[in-house]
Amino acid sequence: MSEGELEYYAQNRRGVSGWFKVRGYVIERKLYTLHRITGILIILFILPHFYSTGWHPGLWWDALLGIIVTFHVANGIRLTLLELFGIGLGKPLLVKKPFQRPVSIEGKQRYLLAISIILFIILALIWSYYAILVKPLMGG
Amino acid sequence: MRESTKMLLHYVTGLLIIVTGLIHLLANNEPNVGKLITGNTYLYLSNMAIFLAALLYHAFNGIRVILIELVPDKCWTKLIGWAIFLIGIVTYIVGFQVLLMALGLI
Amino acid sequence: MESSMDLWKPVGTVKIRVYKYNPRRDFAPGWKEYEIEVSRGTTILDALLRIKEEIDPSLAFRYSCGQALCGSCAMMVNGRQMLICRTRVLEVAKDGKIELRPLDNFPIIRDLACDFKSFFDKHRAVKPWIIRKDAEELENPTGDYKQTIEEYARYYQFTDCLLCGACYSACPTVSTDHEYLGPHALAQAYRYIIDTRDDGLEERIAVVDSDHGCWRCHFATSCSDVCPKYVDPAQGIQLLKKLIMRSKLGFKPHKPAEVLSSKIGEVKRR
Repeated sequence: MSEGELEYYAQNRRGVSGWFKVRGYVIERKLYTLHRITGILIILFILPHFYSTGWHPGLWWDALLGIIVTFHVANGIRLTLLELFGIGLGKPLLVKKPFQRPVSIEGKQRYLLAISIILFIILALIWSYYAILVKPLMGG
Repeated sequence: MRESTKMLLHYVTGLLIIVTGLIHLLANNEPNVGKLITGNTYLYLSNMAIFLAALLYHAFNGIRVILIELVPDKCWTKLIGWAIFLIGIVTYIVGFQVLLMALGLI
Repeated sequence: MESSMDLWKPVGTVKIRVYKYNPRRDFAPGWKEYEIEVSRGTTILDALLRIKEEIDPSLAFRYSCGQALCGSCAMMVNGRQMLICRTRVLEVAKDGKIELRPLDNFPIIRDLACDFKSFFDKHRAVKPWIIRKDAEELENPTGDYKQTIEEYARYYQFTDCLLCGACYSACPTVSTDHEYLGPHALAQAYRYIIDTRDDGLEERIAVVDSDHGCWRCHFATSCSDVCPKYVDPAQGIQLLKKLIMRSKLGFKPHKPAEVLSSKIGEVKRR
């Protein structure tokens, strides 16, 4: 019996709620969800900015936009390094110990994660500084 | 076009966005550096043209990936791909026009 | 005096809340709670078997080896995928309660048992066997294929897969995309491509480098997080992506394995 013919409860597919089921899993799962959400929010910002280049959300909303964009950028750099170049992935194991935690998550990748979080905080602070302090002086 | 080509472009345009976007932000927010960049209008225009193309490709490919994950049936995949492609082209033309108007070239 | 039998002394009772659903009879799923006496060493499988024997014979669940070797008994315990045959009740009980559900994203046959047909079809789709082009050598072998320990180490980790379904259930892409191959299939695709004895790069790339192949993975790493044999499919998929990119530039995944010709029938005399 193909899956399409089963009733709703028997199909047991989580659907989009599966993207948001982050409790009980590692932190990279939460970052995946945030990356998706920030990507969609950026598209929602881009569309009005596009059609009238002067349009900007304004002071504090500019800082919020900054946080969203810099998170997506920092996590995007982490994902590009991991998926394209394999930096931080680690090598497959020949010997597995009891309760072995996966090397690709809890090996060198955690250093990459820390660096990308620090990068995110620094970029977000710089952006917010320009949005809140510099831009009003320049004429908004 | 294989999926890996589209995803390679996704990563490459991501990096391009960071570089060209930084120039765009500096031009708008830092007066000293801004005058240097926008001094040569055609250089700034080419920067923004590349920025626009990279941004639209990255964004619309992202939309395509999310849509394909939401509606995985084979009959929809090609339609979604071509529809997104056409919307992307149209948006680029509109955006380029807005760009030329904003820089005072039209 | 302490003895190892203390592990099996009854320590208390635990309430086990089980998902009950018979698609042919019930309109909607329900829950049933059982109270069972446990010791420190009781596994969830032990508890379920006691429930089935003493309290409710209609409970349906899968199990086979009881030692984390077959992958039959994977289910959701308190919202996380695990093998119940090797999880102790008192390890996972929250306030003396455990909640058991069938694996997410699998069609339910009944109660805690799920349908694995599409799971196995996707595994078969990546051709999980050694593909070779030298038919002559296969028909009339002259010896063994040489493989160094370093070449073996590049794929050994992925051979431990039990096909239990925990990774497929935990993956966020699987929850919306029913065509997605799944971390189990992609990790096995990598395991066979990187094996030096294998020649099947083009055939497998056609399957894996598609709309619902390895590029729909976004490194959420839940698959590696829940894998009971520490296979780390997330690592396999990212290494597969890197391999595909390198093969676009012309790099081959490995050198072809040479044949160590054996002198069949020769007996060494001293």
